[in-house]
Amino acid sequence: MLAYRQGDTGAFETLYARHKGPLYRFVLRSVRERGLAEELYQEIWMKVIEARGRYTVQAKFTTWLYTIAHHRLTDHWRKRGLRAVDIADHDPPAPAADGPERRAQARQDLERLAAALAALPAAQREAFLLHEEGGMSVAEIAAATGVGEEAAKSRLRYALAKLREALDD
Amino acid sequence: MTDPERDTRVSQHYRALGREEPPPGIDAAILAAARRRRSRWAVPVSIAAVVVLAVGVTLRVQMEERRGADEVVLSPQVMQTPPPAAAPARKAARDAAPLLQSEPARPEAKQEMRAMQAPAAPPVAVAPAEQAASGVAAGKISAAPQTPEQWLERIAELRKAGRDREADRSLAEFRKRYPDYRMSEAMRARVAPR
Repeated sequence: MLAYRQGDTGAFETLYARHKGPLYRFVLRSVRERGLAEELYQEIWMKVIEARGRYTVQAKFTTWLYTIAHHRLTDHWRKRGLRAVDIADHDPPAPAADGPERRAQARQDLERLAAALAALPAAQREAFLLHEEGGMSVAEIAAATGVGEEAAKSRLRYALAKLREALDD
Repeated sequence: MTDPERDTRVSQHYRALGREEPPPGIDAAILAAARRRRSRWAVPVSIAAVVVLAVGVTLRVQMEERRGADEVVLSPQVMQTPPPAAAPARKAARDAAPLLQSEPARPEAKQEMRAMQAPAAPPVAVAPAEQAASGVAAGKISAAPQTPEQWLERIAELRKAGRDREADRSLAEFRKRYPDYRMSEAMRARVAPR
């Protein structure tokens, strides 16, 4: 990021390639509407480009990136009046082929997981996605979302507990 | 499961939900934006240059209009064509310029101006390139109302007329003023020092 700040466009391309998938899925699984996710995703990167002058070495790029993403999503939820959680409407992709019975079981597992993820309170889902997609530690999640480490830890713990429960059903 | 950050089973299932990627069109738009914004000052500087030029043109037009009203006809041909006089006469005209309505400093300049039927003829008409640079730098109203293309055209004319020293000087001013200007190969061939 520092290299890009100093005019190295290639450095940006490397960063982008590394983070695009995880960030995109973070946004997509947060808002669950593809068109909206694409719009927000693009806006987040535009903010990164605009704000590159404010990036400092102290912050790990991942944390910085997801802080920007967190702010953008928070704005979005605020505008929408923190809409109620609903069940995911997207189809989870079919898992690797095995026997038909096993496949059906695996598919059910995924559907349950997707539904449970969608049903999580926004803050818990965010903590889980930052952990899964951003590969972030509790401390980094706390920094990106502007809460204390204890709060971040309990959000993640609750999220994991509910998702585990969904798989055990 | 004491570590709240670890749950392989949940992780594996989550990953099986899919590894979606942004559409290529969005990738391209973002990367293009990153390249565009690389030079943070390029846009403000070019906007500033356009503003300076526009102010120059406006002031010049206003001066022309005022003079036109006062002094009746002033042939545009006379205004545009550089006088056949040599360098000293032009210098004299430039020296006399700040005085405008008062007496020109030197006799030959006086004669030249009388010939142009415009005692207050701005020096821009005589040596646009040099005046453009110095005028803008000093924030004077004598900024040349010309585009970079017109300026280059003028340099090309000087070259063609064999006035290489003036062309060199004007080209140097041009490069100072528009360091990022990329001229076409054809234009380069016409204005470059021989």
